[in-house]
Amino acid sequence: MANLVIDNVKKRYGNTEILKGINISIKTGEFLILVGPSGCGKSTLMNSIAGLEDVTEGRILIADKDVTYTSPKDRDIAMVFQSYALYPNMTVEQNISFGLEMRKVPKAERDVEVQRVAELLQISHLLDRKPAQLSGGQRQRVAMGRALARRPQLYLFDEPLSNLDAKLRVEMRTEIKKLHKKLGTTIVYVTHDQIEAMTLADRIAVMKDGQVQQLGTPQEIYDNPANLFVAGFMGSPAMNFIPAKVIEQNGTPMLELATSTTVALPFPKPESLKDHVGKTILLGLRPEMITEPQPHKEGQPFVTTTDVEVEVTEPMGADTMILTRVNNAEINCRSNPMYPAAAGSIIKMMFDTSKAVVFDKESGKRLDA
Amino acid sequence: MSNNAIGRKTSGVDKALRVALYTVLLVAAAFYLIPFIVMLITSLKDVEEIRTGNLLSLPAALNFDSWAKAWSSACTGSSCGGISPYFMNSFQIVLPAVAISTLVGAINGYVISLWKFRGSDLFFAAMLVGCFIPFQVILLPMAQTLGWLGIANTASGLVFVHVVYGVAFTTLFFRNFYQSIPSELVKAARLDGAGFFTIFYRIILPVSTPIIVVTVIWQFTQIWNDFLFGVAFSGFDTQPVTVALNNLVNTSFGGKEYNVDMAAAIIAALPTLAVYVFAGKYFVRGLTAGAVKG
Repeated sequence: MANLVIDNVKKRYGNTEILKGINISIKTGEFLILVGPSGCGKSTLMNSIAGLEDVTEGRILIADKDVTYTSPKDRDIAMVFQSYALYPNMTVEQNISFGLEMRKVPKAERDVEVQRVAELLQISHLLDRKPAQLSGGQRQRVAMGRALARRPQLYLFDEPLSNLDAKLRVEMRTEIKKLHKKLGTTIVYVTHDQIEAMTLADRIAVMKDGQVQQLGTPQEIYDNPANLFVAGFMGSPAMNFIPAKVIEQNGTPMLELATSTTVALPFPKPESLKDHVGKTILLGLRPEMITEPQPHKEGQPFVTTTDVEVEVTEPMGADTMILTRVNNAEINCRSNPMYPAAAGSIIKMMFDTSKAVVFDKESGKRLDA
Repeated sequence: MSNNAIGRKTSGVDKALRVALYTVLLVAAAFYLIPFIVMLITSLKDVEEIRTGNLLSLPAALNFDSWAKAWSSACTGSSCGGISPYFMNSFQIVLPAVAISTLVGAINGYVISLWKFRGSDLFFAAMLVGCFIPFQVILLPMAQTLGWLGIANTASGLVFVHVVYGVAFTTLFFRNFYQSIPSELVKAARLDGAGFFTIFYRIILPVSTPIIVVTVIWQFTQIWNDFLFGVAFSGFDTQPVTVALNNLVNTSFGGKEYNVDMAAAIIAALPTLAVYVFAGKYFVRGLTAGAVKG
């Protein structure tokens, strides 16, 4: 196990800059997730850590050793690929032991290691099969087994679950998390699935356009997004962005909200809105902060109840998503399924702004950070 | 399947069309078979029978004398040892040329598809041009090159020519096949600690059987059937069988021995025929494998 330091890494192809100075450092045993839309550079960064691609500038350190110019095989890392990349001509056993064989581990030790990994991943009964005879989930396990067998310092996972069906994906996600808890390995994991990122990571690096937008724990990123992009990318359904005018009431900046009536929403950090009075900003409010009126919240400082018109409802079982419109923006609210909300009717909803965030409308910068 | 058969009614028109289709196919098949049948029949007749009978009349008795003569005692130019020595010459040229060009093509394809380097696409495009160069164009420069290399008029010289000319095709075949192999396979092997040749030998070659079969058949047929390079670059005792066949047919003392000519021609064609019969189904399968997978 080892720590990983990515120090101002840049990558250029001709004139296009794919990575624009990445700085990330993770501790031994930490689970880092790189998340972002396609083309954000996360896979390039992953390949650079693996040594499969050269970096143009900057340094990469594994276990405090500079490996920027070290060849992949000498970096002591293992990688699980999206397509699994199992060797089609070899059995599961040969697939798992290939890396050990290449490192000249004696046959007897290899067998012991294969057994250990197979038991850990519950694939002992598959050892004689070829990859073509395995299901998607089994291939996924073998791919992980191949990575685990070498006991490398650092594990890289490149979208390992994206080829699995939804149910299996959730199962394997839990499995990976358990495995990480059990083995305490250092992992860098690339995904574009923000739920995977939230559930697995110790820390998440949200990337866009070759830059890290925010690096933090899942909860930090969820509650305290650095900018509009991070706020919109993390969370499902996504955060609501409501254009709202900043008005002043009794010397305190408030946010104007127009539905069938107009109300002023209080904001936890009014001082950050001082300079924006009279301007329109974007109010970010997660769907679960807009609910049916809840008696126990009544009277709390940042809670406002107002009328909204229901456009569509989407029952999800545990909750019902209510789609409505405020300040001419479509917003999602999460309500109790028992709460009567017929499409077209006007109902009371409770806006809890205690965790609200505000962004500049043009630049997308966080205003209250 | 049987359910379908019961459920479907065949109308009279369908039947008529089917009969017409088979008729056309049979006629086409016969059309292509007739030359070979004529060759076979003629080779089994004696000279007298050929002169008196017609082209398609069957031989009175099976007579393999002309085959024996073609193999071991017919005259090709000034020597009269049949075509057997040249048959062996052909093998001496074809086997190494096929092996080397296939191997080089495999490595080229492996590099171009899975170890892309700056300009590898350009390199491949340049290589492709080689597929479109007519044989005749390279005759003189090649003769000069062979002279410089000191392998003019030798079997090695012909092997060299065929390898150089064949590599463009074999590279194309292997490159297209390897395009369908995910590059992650190579990445995984690199992280596992395998090097360039280990990956090629342990991971890539074992999955290449279909394309190896295609390439071997293609190269074997091309090189075995080659006449132009054979006649231009071979020495007196390194002539391939195609050249010998030409000499045999053009050498006549007295009457023309059509039966011997035909027997020699069939013998010369046998190896490619055998290769196709034994590996033909892999050939078709291999050619289409990549196309379907896309």
